[in-house]
Amino acid sequence: MKEELSVVGKRLPRWAAGEKATGTAKYTVDIKLPGMLVGKVLRSPYPHARIKKIDKSKAEKLPGVEAVITWDDVPHKLFNPNKLDLINYHPEGELKDMYVISNKARFVGDAIAAVAAVDEATAEEALYLIKADYEILPAVFDPLEAMKPGAPIVHDFAKNNISLHMKFPVAWGNVEQGFKDADVVVEETFRTAKNHICQLEPCSCVASFDASGRLTVWSPSQHPFLHRRKMAELFDMPEGMVRWITPHVGGAFGKYGSFCAEPICVALAKKTGKPVKIEYSREEDFFATERRQRYVVTGKIGVKKDGTITALEENFIVDGGAYFTHNNTTTGVHMGSFVGLYRCPNVAAEGDCVYTNEPPTGGVRGYGNHEGTCILEQLVDLAAHKIRMDPVDLRLKNVKHAGDPSSTGLPMETCSFEECIRIGMERIGWKEKRARHKKNGNKRYGIGMAIMMDVSGANPFNLQRRNVYLKFNEDGSVNLIVGSGEIGQNLMGTLAQIAAETLGVTYDDIHIVTGDTDSTMFDHGHHASGGCYQIGNAVVMAAKEAKKQLLERAAKKLEVSSDGLEIKNRQIYVKTDPQKGVSVGEITKDAIYNFQGEHLNISAKGSFSPTENPPPFAVVFTEVEVDIETGVVRVLKVLYVNDSGKVINPTTLEGQLEGAIVQSIGYVLTEDYIVNNKTGALESNNYNTYKIPSALDIPDVEVLLYEEQPVPSGPFGAKGGAQGAMVAVTPAIANAIYDAIGVCITDMPATPEKILAALKHK
Amino acid sequence: MRKEIATFKINGRAYEAIITPNITLAELLREKLDLTGTKCACGVGECGSCTILVDGKPALSCSTLAIAVRNRDILTIEGLARGTELHPIQQAFIDNGAIQCGFCSSGMIMMAKALLAENPQPTREEVKEGLGGNLCRCTGYVKIIDAVMAAAETMRKGGK
Repeated sequence: MKEELSVVGKRLPRWAAGEKATGTAKYTVDIKLPGMLVGKVLRSPYPHARIKKIDKSKAEKLPGVEAVITWDDVPHKLFNPNKLDLINYHPEGELKDMYVISNKARFVGDAIAAVAAVDEATAEEALYLIKADYEILPAVFDPLEAMKPGAPIVHDFAKNNISLHMKFPVAWGNVEQGFKDADVVVEETFRTAKNHICQLEPCSCVASFDASGRLTVWSPSQHPFLHRRKMAELFDMPEGMVRWITPHVGGAFGKYGSFCAEPICVALAKKTGKPVKIEYSREEDFFATERRQRYVVTGKIGVKKDGTITALEENFIVDGGAYFTHNNTTTGVHMGSFVGLYRCPNVAAEGDCVYTNEPPTGGVRGYGNHEGTCILEQLVDLAAHKIRMDPVDLRLKNVKHAGDPSSTGLPMETCSFEECIRIGMERIGWKEKRARHKKNGNKRYGIGMAIMMDVSGANPFNLQRRNVYLKFNEDGSVNLIVGSGEIGQNLMGTLAQIAAETLGVTYDDIHIVTGDTDSTMFDHGHHASGGCYQIGNAVVMAAKEAKKQLLERAAKKLEVSSDGLEIKNRQIYVKTDPQKGVSVGEITKDAIYNFQGEHLNISAKGSFSPTENPPPFAVVFTEVEVDIETGVVRVLKVLYVNDSGKVINPTTLEGQLEGAIVQSIGYVLTEDYIVNNKTGALESNNYNTYKIPSALDIPDVEVLLYEEQPVPSGPFGAKGGAQGAMVAVTPAIANAIYDAIGVCITDMPATPEKILAALKHK
Repeated sequence: MRKEIATFKINGRAYEAIITPNITLAELLREKLDLTGTKCACGVGECGSCTILVDGKPALSCSTLAIAVRNRDILTIEGLARGTELHPIQQAFIDNGAIQCGFCSSGMIMMAKALLAENPQPTREEVKEGLGGNLCRCTGYVKIIDAVMAAAETMRKGGK
């Protein structure tokens, strides 16, 4: 018999929806402290230059300027703004190559000085008064050029600009033999897109030291505890002397897995002894914060005539930009995704991370999986075409099943590729539409599909530690105390639903406390779709323990055994005699205001570290129309079949998937990150030059949530879902374009110019 | 720069502020009057986050000089609810899951208000058209359009 659920699975309003709908929710950009100064950053106009001398005397004399800092004023300590070295089991892969402010600029926009002043106008004027004497160095923007002998060197330690050579560590089989065994081998070189995050809240930070020297940082972090430690180490402070507050976050998508404005903001606050706020302009956000790496990949697939994949191999170059940041981890995920999606006996992956003088890259939604899977899924369609097989049939022949290893290498508790593919095929009318006449005047119709698996956290590669605390108030309501703050994904509402269901109280009874390292317990942070699965499990543990305390107390009062009690809708009752009972509030009030000395604030901790990592699955079908006269592609329909196990809140999950679908449409069609190859300046530096989709650009979107295979290790059977949601959409659109015009898109984004050029060379 | 004391009518209330001629309405609202519900995401009128209403018509507060809207009827997100009673558009955004990070929501809701005042019975296509200048990176717009359609219905049935 199915367990009857009263909170989990319901379409309840998201956490803090009311504050957000009324404009009262506070974001970092909204924070204003008494005496707060405005911080501004002076940025290099050159892509590669040594700062010979910097004269700040005029700026310092400007009334209202409280500090001007340069290389001389910051710790001469290399760091990596990415938090992962603190939790990676192989931290040596995360190279430290950045200073808070450098004496050498490596991209147009690299920070070379910063000021703090009483207002924005004064701070901006001060920037003009700083005189920097640059020794302009030759620059390199293309990673292939950067690897040639004699190319300008971005970081002295990196010969030929190769920061790290990477090889898939557990490659299995023998690819040479695998390709010999194949009837058809397809090889293609792809260039993925340098896609920007474009979260709407501009990157910002407030930092303040109190009289005891204790630092408080307000910033939109995905990993407040790891960032706290990183900041403490950077400025030689014990962790406890740093408090990290995460207000509401105006979009994250991986960006806040790294520092943005925080180190400079803290340096200014330290120098002035006053609170300092830095808010990037949109242009600064575009060129000075992290975006996607471009992968240049030669991928190879071998298949037999019956569709069996015999070998997969990729050789890649990671076009990583001026600093290392997340190159190691994203590329690790990239390789795992490329070799791990299908059953394949022979795999290999290898390549180089390369520096250039372009703005730095980082971790973005999909985090390596997006690029790895995109290339693989396009190769699969090319192979299917070669052997004249329906690409769906080819996939069905090679997909993994429960018990097989996922792309992390851990065995999968469930696997629903077959079911999801069949549901989607039927729903979209695949066979009929695939056979449909393509031509209609200048328009060409196409339908494509792709599949993906993602993760529920980063086990077993990163330390995954989740702690929550839960306490009852005297009225029977609950404070659920969660370490890492809400970044817009409604994790807090999701956790509240899990807590309410486990405790037998209502959703409204759960009051969330989050986003403050002083009042919450350690949590490693939001990445890799781990929140619902991992923190959800910690919530179940805490709630079960608190419920036990509650029932034991109620059992005494009712003079029955606690085993015989249950809670539903705030009421504790005797299972065999449901009329007999007591409300949760009565027990919790008695537990606190107890004059017999038996007082107890009913509360519990839940600590969770995963042993599993159940992948969410997605099967995506798309229909497109390509205008062969103009090269314009229009996405007509996206059907997303998703398996995140049991869904805690369908509205929340649908919203995540719909958002990712539209992000993918931008990625494939319009989002072109253009760096001028002479000046190194970013030309696409605002929403008018870097086009993200608007409401007018969205197709017919349909999301189906497949819930027939709840995952045994998940809270109520739930697993991840949001982070990887772009992963299958992007290749499904690319494959639909391929179906429409017979050209495989190998250089993203597929702008009209590229479509026309491809048609010409067809 | 020349400073002057200017009066503003915002959300039905009179405000006085010392302003310079170059200050934008967004700066006035956010920095001088602490009405931070209005958000700025691009600063150049490309994203719609800072949308407010001036005499009932939508305007981009980041690209509007404060001095130009003295004594005009300005409505921001803070003035939409009546006490604790939410406007039907706000309620519909909550009920339909139209809010994620929430940073575009203020501008989106104000734009929806202007849209529904002009066209109380829009089609989905007309809603897309009306919100075409308001960017959102989280939702993919589907649930925002759902919310505006639902709000239109509530308002036609007599909700304010």
